[in-house]
Amino acid sequence: MIDLNGNTVRVEKALYDLSLLDFIRDHALLKGTKYGCGQGLCGACTVHLDGAAQRACQLSMSEVLGRNVTTIEGLSALTDGDGLHPVQQAWITEAVPQCGYCQPGQLMTAAALLSENPVPNDADIRAGMNGNICRCGTYDRIRRAVARAARET
Amino acid sequence: MENIVRNISIDRRKFLINSGWLAAGLTVLTSCKGVFAVLPTTANPEIEDGLSWVQLMPDGRIRFLCPRMEMGQGAPLGLSQIVAEELNLEQSQIECVSPASNQSPPFKMTVGSESIALFSEPVSRGAANLREHLRQQAARETALPIGQLKDATGGFDAVGRFIGYGELVPAEVTLLMPEQNDTVAQYFYTRAEARRIVGKSWRSPDLENIVTGKTIYSRDVSLPGMLYGDVIRPPRFDATLVDAKDIGAEAMPGVEAVVIDTSNSLLGVVAKSPLLLADALKRIEPVWRFGNSTASADELEVTRYRARDDFEHTLVDEGNSAANDVISVRSVSANYTTSYMAHAAMEPRAAVAWVTEENVKIWCGCQDPYFIRGRIAALLERDEEEVVVHPLRMGGGFGGRILSQPAEEAALLSARVGRPVGVQWDRETEFQHNYFQPKFSHAIDSGLDAKGKIAYWRHDFVSSPIIFGLVPRGLAPILDTFIADKGTARGARMPYQVGQQRVRYSDIRTEVPTGAWRGLGAAPNTFAIESMMDELAFAIGEDPLTFRLAHLAGAGGHMEPLATVLRRVGDVSGWGRSTPKNRGRGVACAIYKGQTHVAVVADVAIDHGERQVKVLRLWCVQNCGLVVNPDQVENQVLGNLMWGCGMALEEKLTISDGIANERNFDGYNILRHNEAPEAVIKLVKTARAKPLAVGEAAFAPAVAAIANAAFAASGKRPRALPFDYDSLYA
Ligand code: FES
Ligand code: FES
Repeated sequence: MIDLNGNTVRVEKALYDLSLLDFIRDHALLKGTKYGCGQGLCGACTVHLDGAAQRACQLSMSEVLGRNVTTIEGLSALTDGDGLHPVQQAWITEAVPQCGYCQPGQLMTAAALLSENPVPNDADIRAGMNGNICRCGTYDRIRRAVARAARET
Repeated sequence: MENIVRNISIDRRKFLINSGWLAAGLTVLTSCKGVFAVLPTTANPEIEDGLSWVQLMPDGRIRFLCPRMEMGQGAPLGLSQIVAEELNLEQSQIECVSPASNQSPPFKMTVGSESIALFSEPVSRGAANLREHLRQQAARETALPIGQLKDATGGFDAVGRFIGYGELVPAEVTLLMPEQNDTVAQYFYTRAEARRIVGKSWRSPDLENIVTGKTIYSRDVSLPGMLYGDVIRPPRFDATLVDAKDIGAEAMPGVEAVVIDTSNSLLGVVAKSPLLLADALKRIEPVWRFGNSTASADELEVTRYRARDDFEHTLVDEGNSAANDVISVRSVSANYTTSYMAHAAMEPRAAVAWVTEENVKIWCGCQDPYFIRGRIAALLERDEEEVVVHPLRMGGGFGGRILSQPAEEAALLSARVGRPVGVQWDRETEFQHNYFQPKFSHAIDSGLDAKGKIAYWRHDFVSSPIIFGLVPRGLAPILDTFIADKGTARGARMPYQVGQQRVRYSDIRTEVPTGAWRGLGAAPNTFAIESMMDELAFAIGEDPLTFRLAHLAGAGGHMEPLATVLRRVGDVSGWGRSTPKNRGRGVACAIYKGQTHVAVVADVAIDHGERQVKVLRLWCVQNCGLVVNPDQVENQVLGNLMWGCGMALEEKLTISDGIANERNFDGYNILRHNEAPEAVIKLVKTARAKPLAVGEAAFAPAVAAIANAAFAASGKRPRALPFDYDSLYA
């Protein structure tokens, strides 16, 4: 059993060796979490495990049993209102995405970073976000959006 | 102007019906042109093409069937703004969709930074024609003279009464066929100083889907009853499948089919779950044949070709070419190299194919859906009309998705099982089995006269075909004999006034598959040219920016736009101020595709403690003509600048034993957050100009500016890219 975005989801024994990423995408059919490298190198698959950013491709289902998993689809539910999460809002205001493929992972990392450190400085943002690659090169805007989300919450 | 055509041909009606056009509605359209099946779709759009892309829907909203594929460059948004400018629409009144291949006549592949530059005109004309037709209709319905129907948002103001486009929708499907050479006012041009929507930073309607994870990329397509396929891919570039033996794959529970197809060199399995694929593939034993007659990648060394004085193409030969006569008081010679590079888009490619007796359906992100359609039709020996490609947003393109190999693999597998089959490349496959940016090897000899002006410039280089990199093996020898690859030479014609100039090159096909990559030859060629300009300036103790300006003067002032961006980047960056020890500024400039003028200044620091070269900041001034959406353009420039950092300091693919060595982001480095400098981007405002190339323009000068800044910081000249602290101080 895991808690996936607030829903209790059964995990059959046969799937214990599966990566959390494959489970999310191919069994729970939530496609917002992305595969980028499969080796913990790019951050595209970032989800929250009990509130902390983790790479879903590097976790097996047996390691996450009984834990709370939040994916990009569940991010907005972490806020009080029924709107978007502040990082999602800031991402839109700063028009961060180009192709967008890396962005769910960037957002999940950013949200976890801000819940740990609500007022990060530039160096904190760079260090906190460093595991997430953006091939399109939107880094400057990502940093601006994280700073904006921090300011506006 | 009476231009409604009611007797439309079956052919044209078909596109309409396919795009959901069943009852009422109005569209404008004309010619559809044929394309060759096996070559990418390259015909430039005709003005009339725009007419088939703009539709008035029964609810009064405008649907724009965008003839450009979205891969993050934002062209559909910019073109939507042009449609909205012509039709006086709010953003909510326009819906932009990516047409399936049976919903629009073929359009040119999405490449070369030309989506806005080349398509703004036909799109604007199509929309303007629709608007004027609707104005006539409104005049008829109100019995007012046409001059009394004034533009209003989403319709017309008929002397105080608002008539929305929705009220003007005809009762039956109607096509509009404007006269040749009509004179309809295109607001995109005529409102030059008073545009309402063009020039504003509309936000893409896709943003919300992206940040909530709802956007569908090729990997995210799942159809009911879909199976999963994977393929054993060749262990080397030169391997051909000869035979294969199933040693237990088909017998595995959950495996639906094993496909051994030597005629297409395809060896694959289809299974109920993606999790079975890796095991199943291990139970097939392929037999490969190795070797073909192409050259080895090691041969791409300019010194070899210079030794034989053997270059296939002469790009420029101007001035007195009796080289020895040229008087120079100071000569400088240097060789420069750049590496093989991968696209490394964040989304490893994927596709779903569903082959049935009636038709073939393909879902994939691709830069040229009509090319994919043609290739798959040929592969399956089907009529092109039976193949429909549904293009999806790409998780990065960069020239790497002219082909969709997984679509072809999935099609062959689905043809066997008759059910939808998804094929998803993993990162390793993405790095090893696509085509690459070729490496470049340059040699430049130059000399200065007594006044510090360049007396002669002799530039030779060797690389591989890029535009013609993807032609079928059988065709390659003929093409290579007769055609100089313009992609390989992009950016090799330098902009400066010199006494005498000769540029020669060879585009040698090797074992390594090469093809389009962001900017084609522009970044490698600009790196060589702008490094040599720097070397010359330093040779005589001249300021590199002043030295460049001195060589852009004269010649009827046609280099003034480049001089302007250079001067401005000097101003915004505070060029000329002294820098602390181990810090340096470098400048470079270039004209992209003969149209977009860009200058970049880089600020680089050498950290001896950490043994690192760090780009601290980049300033970029770009004149890309009319800017349709400033925010989108700035985001593209930002991406280009980051690519400049990556190419200068990180990216290198190496080949050994006939295959790429790098398999993931631990071997092939791309820029990360902590290495990404701040960027200051300024666009030159030119309301009356046409929009020009953006998507690849700023990349090339960024690379060179960083290399030049590293020299200024360290006194060591990086002549081989990528470079790092260790190579600089080796
Ligand atoms: S896919 Fe998990 S880190 Fe790249
Ligand atoms: S937006 Fe394309 S990879 Fe980040």
